[in-house]
Amino acid sequence: MASKREIHINIPVLTRVEGEGALEFDVVQGVIQKLNLRIFEPPRLFEKFIEGYEYDQVIDMVARICGICPVAYQMSAVQAFERLFGIDPGPWVRDMRRVMYCGEWLQSHALHVHLLAAPDFFGFDNAIAMAEKHPQAVRRGLRLQGLGNDLITLFGGRSVHPVGVRVGGFYKAPAQAAVADMVKQLEEALPQAEALVRWCAELDFPHDEQAFTSVALSEPDEYAIGSGRLVSGQGLDIDISHFESHFEEFQVSHSTALHTQLEGRPYLTGPLARLNLNFRQLPKPVRAVMEDCGIHFPSHNMFHSILARAIEIHLVIYEALQLLKAYQRPATPAVQVRPRAGTAFGCTEAPRGFLWHRYDVDERGDTRRVRIVPPTSQNQARIEQDLCASLESFGLDHDDDELRQRAEQVIRNYDPCISCATHFLKLKVSRR
Amino acid sequence: MIRVIGIGSSFGADQLGWLAIEALQEVALPDLELIRLDRPGSGLLRYFEDVERVLLIDAVATDSEPGEVKLLNPADLSQASCLTSSHGFGVAEALALAKTLETLPAELWVAGIAAGNDHSSVPDLNKQQLLDLLARLTKDVPTTWKSA
Repeated sequence: MASKREIHINIPVLTRVEGEGALEFDVVQGVIQKLNLRIFEPPRLFEKFIEGYEYDQVIDMVARICGICPVAYQMSAVQAFERLFGIDPGPWVRDMRRVMYCGEWLQSHALHVHLLAAPDFFGFDNAIAMAEKHPQAVRRGLRLQGLGNDLITLFGGRSVHPVGVRVGGFYKAPAQAAVADMVKQLEEALPQAEALVRWCAELDFPHDEQAFTSVALSEPDEYAIGSGRLVSGQGLDIDISHFESHFEEFQVSHSTALHTQLEGRPYLTGPLARLNLNFRQLPKPVRAVMEDCGIHFPSHNMFHSILARAIEIHLVIYEALQLLKAYQRPATPAVQVRPRAGTAFGCTEAPRGFLWHRYDVDERGDTRRVRIVPPTSQNQARIEQDLCASLESFGLDHDDDELRQRAEQVIRNYDPCISCATHFLKLKVSRR
Repeated sequence: MIRVIGIGSSFGADQLGWLAIEALQEVALPDLELIRLDRPGSGLLRYFEDVERVLLIDAVATDSEPGEVKLLNPADLSQASCLTSSHGFGVAEALALAKTLETLPAELWVAGIAAGNDHSSVPDLNKQQLLDLLARLTKDVPTTWKSA
């Protein structure tokens, strides 16, 4: 039975999320009256900084927006300029960019699964406490995260703010010996990824089915990462250049990050949305492990997000391995570029969801106007919607500490990157 | 051999760990492996593999004279961030995790370089203190904190 007490909960700093935010909600007569996911990191104004810079400078500048997903920013930007300039860098560049992107998904997901999300499922306050009881799992997470960083470094020179990507291709192709060493490491990691999926499949997931719309990029012949059309579970199927006709960004007073809605409604982007829409495109060996574990998608339980990340870890290790086994060092790692004026659109799947870019470009290839829509800002409205439903389903008669813990776990399902979006959580619950 | 790891970033006084590595590169001392890391978080644990002796150098907020180099007791490092995010996963958290996972090197020292009050500017690194410290460590002076 719902509590009739008046509740005011304030979580002034959310823990185990990327960046700083807070949560505040009021419960009156057993009903949530107000719930605000407050994002108070100052706006970073990157879109303005980038104006006036030449296209290749932009690729390195946007990498600075995020220390966790710099590759995503680079890939959305490079795709935008290449689409506008009419450049096809060919299959080698396309495949190697996918491998580099696999590295970013691997390091980001491995970090989130093992260090940020898993402690919730075992009742630990943090990963250090979890490591005492589950040292092998934490070691696996660190190894996989490190391997992801190495994959990024292979193509980007370094894992944080990499510098290897350019419009037209890469600045440098990795040496055959370095790739052979990476193939060996990926072969050793593949059984760890399978074990991770089985480990996550055994977690005790809360029952919390909710109706929501998943949105993701989709490709007919592969699990979309670096390209595709924007599709939803409700029939949306558009070229990325039509994003602004269907999605609206707007400001709310309690967040320095813009909220986004699809046709006036919140939606989900990220691993669970991708699995829901694209599980048929997973390679057979990845699907085989899922089937063996009794894992079925689509799912409308947000707590399955950790499982979705584990499956995507298996996917990216498998894919990177296949692509690098066939590696041949090209004569040149990039094609020639001739800039042209126009509006450039780019959209790729960052670890946390799709990342949309638009650049108005002059005839020299310099940017005149920039718009960047990151995944966490897109998910804010959905997180607030989820929290209302989840907390009421959990039971508002739980004490403040239990409500606080559940609220934070719900938020962590989204792996929010607030620093990216501010462009996140302290909890304040008011009961009256 | 001692693996010397300078931790930092390109911002203000946080550069001090990197500047220490650059100073050591100039004097080319034997039996040192010099590594510069940009805010590695939990990734720091990888650098404890396959090595017995590690010296970490990082900028610290302290009342000491800016630029001063001192050996710290890792147990005194505070996990002030309470693991609020991987952004907040600093050296203290990485060392606590390594200790739990029993992956600390056999010998580990942490040297702090006083950052001063104004973290946006870079104080002059006391290179002599850094060299004196290395001289002591390479002679096995017992100013060490061991994982046991």
